[in-house]
Amino acid sequence: MSVAGQLHCIVVTPEKTALEETTDFVALPLPDGEYGIAPGHSPVIARLGFGELRLKTGGHTAARYYIDGGFVQVNDNVVSVLTERAIPADELSLDAAHKDLDAALRKPADTPERIAARDRDMARARAQIHVAQKTTGGSVSGH
Amino acid sequence: MGREASHAVCVKIKHMAKARALDKRRKSIRNIRKITRTMELIATARFKRAMDRATAATAYTRRITQLVTDLVQSGAEVDHPLLKPHEEQNNAILLVLTANRGLCGGYNGNVLRAALGRLRDYETQIQGEHLEAFRLEVSGKRGISGLKFRRIKADETFTHFEDKPAFEEVEVLANRYLQAYESGALDRLDVAYTKFLSASRQVAVVETLLPLGSLGEDEAAAKKPVKDAPKKPAAAGQTMYEFLPSAESILREVVPASFKVKLFKCFLDAAVSEQIARMVAMKSATENAGDLIKQLSRDYNRARQTQITSELMDIIGGAEAIS
Repeated sequence: MSVAGQLHCIVVTPEKTALEETTDFVALPLPDGEYGIAPGHSPVIARLGFGELRLKTGGHTAARYYIDGGFVQVNDNVVSVLTERAIPADELSLDAAHKDLDAALRKPADTPERIAARDRDMARARAQIHVAQKTTGGSVSGH
Repeated sequence: MGREASHAVCVKIKHMAKARALDKRRKSIRNIRKITRTMELIATARFKRAMDRATAATAYTRRITQLVTDLVQSGAEVDHPLLKPHEEQNNAILLVLTANRGLCGGYNGNVLRAALGRLRDYETQIQGEHLEAFRLEVSGKRGISGLKFRRIKADETFTHFEDKPAFEEVEVLANRYLQAYESGALDRLDVAYTKFLSASRQVAVVETLLPLGSLGEDEAAAKKPVKDAPKKPAAAGQTMYEFLPSAESILREVVPASFKVKLFKCFLDAAVSEQIARMVAMKSATENAGDLIKQLSRDYNRARQTQITSELMDIIGGAEAIS
């Protein structure tokens, strides 16, 4: 298994294994806020929201990804993240995210299903903007 | 004498013409062999790439299955609208996955045959008024033209799925089906495609994807945990998971994700199988061309030899006539 005192983080999408790394700390987006996992964490299965996945190795951020929902399973210092999309934060386009948000805001919200779909699209676009802005702002070291 | 000479000239021309025609044919078959061999090599390279993608998708499905198993073992109730068959099976969609290109042996024909078999079943099952509720969706130019030839109308056609189907493109389809199923506009979704069993075995099948039969990768994988389940509680040290926010809410999200990846896997399997079929077809075409070239070379040499012999005979005959 993994080295004692370290986490083994695996990010899998249907298309490929996006990331497989040993790290000290993993931060994940849950629907209601961020969730941090350090070595020795108790077994957890959780649903993920839209947002940023952060790996911290040796005191600084080693990798940042935008995660598009999915699940995480933590067991025996192995963090497996199952998501439909994992985009490296610096490959995220701020303009495209803004466009998505505009498109989502213009969607009709007349039935409960449509409202839910609209909220979902809005949350996704806002999360993308948030992650992309952090990259352009260069304020990564503060985490 | 004069008649004899003209006869000899005739024979000569005939032999020359035959030899030249044989040489021409041999040249063109050589060109064909060059092309088929190149296509075989391309298919081999594409097969490897497609295979890698299929393997990556398997890693995802395996983990999803593991997740579901852990959830079920902790006592979560597997209950989701996608898992329940609707009472009335009037609205059905048949999705047929074929290739955009030909020259791949029986690949497209087999899928179409399987799809048409299912189509006939529908027609006997669904009578009269409900027939309009049945929709046929076809991916791949070959399937579209094959159905057009049989005068069957497809309700929707796609040609943008090439040898590397992207998850995002498949997801668009998946979301549409999910929405239709949950709102009751769709009762059943069947997919006709070529299932990849191993590098040497692919079969054209029709699978029912909605309602979802099981959450696992396939039936065998899904049954396994059930079989093992009675033993498991006895084994001490069972991992106790904490669920955030709750096991039920996770399951609610797992089911659509599982469906999406299942549909995606169909596209990947079809892509891999297509490349294998093309590889095999082009390999035998290349071999066939090689055999043909051998045969033609033999004929050509014989014709040339005959021509030379007849020329010699001419000279000898001429010399004899003079002396």
